[in-house]
Amino acid sequence: MNKILVVDDDIDILSLVKIMLTMNHFDVEAISRWEEIDTRLHDFKPDLVLLDVSLGDADGRDICKQMRTAKETSAIPVILFSANAEMGKYIDDCRAQAFIPKPFELSYLINTIKTYLN
Amino acid sequence: MFNLRDISIKNKLILMQVFTSLLVLSIVFGVFIFTDINSYKQRKVESMISLAQVIGTNSISTLQFDDPDAAMEMLQDLHNVSPEIIRATIFNNKGEIFAQYSKPGLDSFRIKDVLKQRKFLFSGDELFVSSAITNNNEVIGKVYLDVELSELQQTKAYKLELAAVLLIIALLFSFLVALGVQTYISRRLLKLVSTMKNVSETGDYAEPLGDDGKDEIAILIQVFNKLMQQIKENQQKKDEFIGIASHELKTPLTTIKGYIEMLNMMEQEPTKKQFVEKAMLNVNKLERLIRDLLDVSKIQSGQLRLEMKEFNMNELLTETVNAVQMVSAPRIIREDKLKNEIIYGDRQRIEQVLLNLLSNAVKYSPGENKVIIDSEKTDKDLLIKIRDFGIGVTKDEQMHIFERFYRSKDTSVHFSGFGLGLYICRDIITRHCGKIWVEKADPGSIFIFSLPLKHSFKTQQTEA
Repeated sequence: MNKILVVDDDIDILSLVKIMLTMNHFDVEAISRWEEIDTRLHDFKPDLVLLDVSLGDADGRDICKQMRTAKETSAIPVILFSANAEMGKYIDDCRAQAFIPKPFELSYLINTIKTYLN
Repeated sequence: MFNLRDISIKNKLILMQVFTSLLVLSIVFGVFIFTDINSYKQRKVESMISLAQVIGTNSISTLQFDDPDAAMEMLQDLHNVSPEIIRATIFNNKGEIFAQYSKPGLDSFRIKDVLKQRKFLFSGDELFVSSAITNNNEVIGKVYLDVELSELQQTKAYKLELAAVLLIIALLFSFLVALGVQTYISRRLLKLVSTMKNVSETGDYAEPLGDDGKDEIAILIQVFNKLMQQIKENQQKKDEFIGIASHELKTPLTTIKGYIEMLNMMEQEPTKKQFVEKAMLNVNKLERLIRDLLDVSKIQSGQLRLEMKEFNMNELLTETVNAVQMVSAPRIIREDKLKNEIIYGDRQRIEQVLLNLLSNAVKYSPGENKVIIDSEKTDKDLLIKIRDFGIGVTKDEQMHIFERFYRSKDTSVHFSGFGLGLYICRDIITRHCGKIWVEKADPGSIFIFSLPLKHSFKTQQTEA
């Protein structure tokens, strides 16, 4: 079973994604506080990270950039998502695998995840 | 009817100055001519009265000795002394005619009754003068002179002519001066007017107008600048608000959409499934509305940026048509001859335009009407034509249909929406150096947009 770490500061979206991915046979760890990302990356060892861009006082793109520099996490695929569709145009330098604008089709989300897991 | 309000401010200023000059000069010339003629008359009266007195003095002896022939002879000499005297008569103290003279060809005797009380009288072109003949304080007769004033008429005509010529020259100068001076006032006003027009047409609040004067026009310009600044600030606040609001709206919408989607997948019972699908359709509609609102605020604040890449128009059209066919009855017919035309542009935004036009076409031609897609290729451009068989667009509507918040006035066909779709389409196409317009077809209408083909895009962009 593939392990996915979901980070979003909106609890509702977080639980929706968790339910959806669990139903689709993924092992999901969902957190709303970005401060916990480091420990979770270390403990949970996800195969893919689903990361919100606007996380209150942190920017998902910066977190993604940091992940790329650390040896342990540099190979983990990252999918960013945001309610600001324009963000998709500014993800190049953080080297995220994909960007999904909110609101998204769940099937599209699943397909994108599957694409980057293989 | 002639209305002063209809004249431009420039012409009004000229007219005002020319009219003032005309009025002042007319009064001046009028007074000048009047006093001139009056003093001429005065001089004439005085000289004629002196002449009459001289005649009177000279005829005292003829009256005393009752010698009318001598008097007559003296009167005849008047012809040489003063040819303007046309008649002269001497009365004796009984009031009988003693001697008289009249210019050849004229009737002899004519005396105005009023002369019995007065010393002179102007009547028409003639001057009548009378003078009593006295000897040792005793009136022994009277002299009457009738003077023709042909000279006065000539002077009058000459003065009037001169005045008219001077008036015309003065007015001409006044016009030229006014023409020069009016620009000082009108130029600033006209600049303000043209800026205001520009702002109301484009909605673009340009730089504040510069004016270093201290008069009312300067105040007007300052107030205008202040207002524009306030509008600009309000616009910015509104844009910020819409940006934040649509972001906040999207977040719960994501959750709603997700759960409905899951329900849809799980639900097997047909009625329930139908309800869920209805909810889904409306969530999607809501999503589009929010996106349109956000797009418009981006367009307004100049934040809409295009991600330019090369893409295949045929592929995009196929994808878009398939997407529209999924939600509407499959009645979109492709008659275009697209092969592999490459466009340099923002694929996502062009897709948005296509989606908008196609869903409009489907929406506005209800029933079993079809929608036909056609294309045309020129050296530089690619034209995509979307023909519907709906109620059509009137000539008047064709002008406004691409404006913000414009909605069809035809109340029999009422569809929801903000009326932003076509406005966004026009903005996107214009940014691609293309054009978008609508033509009337029978029945229905054809929405056409042009995009420069890849090889001509760069040159068109530099020209623009």
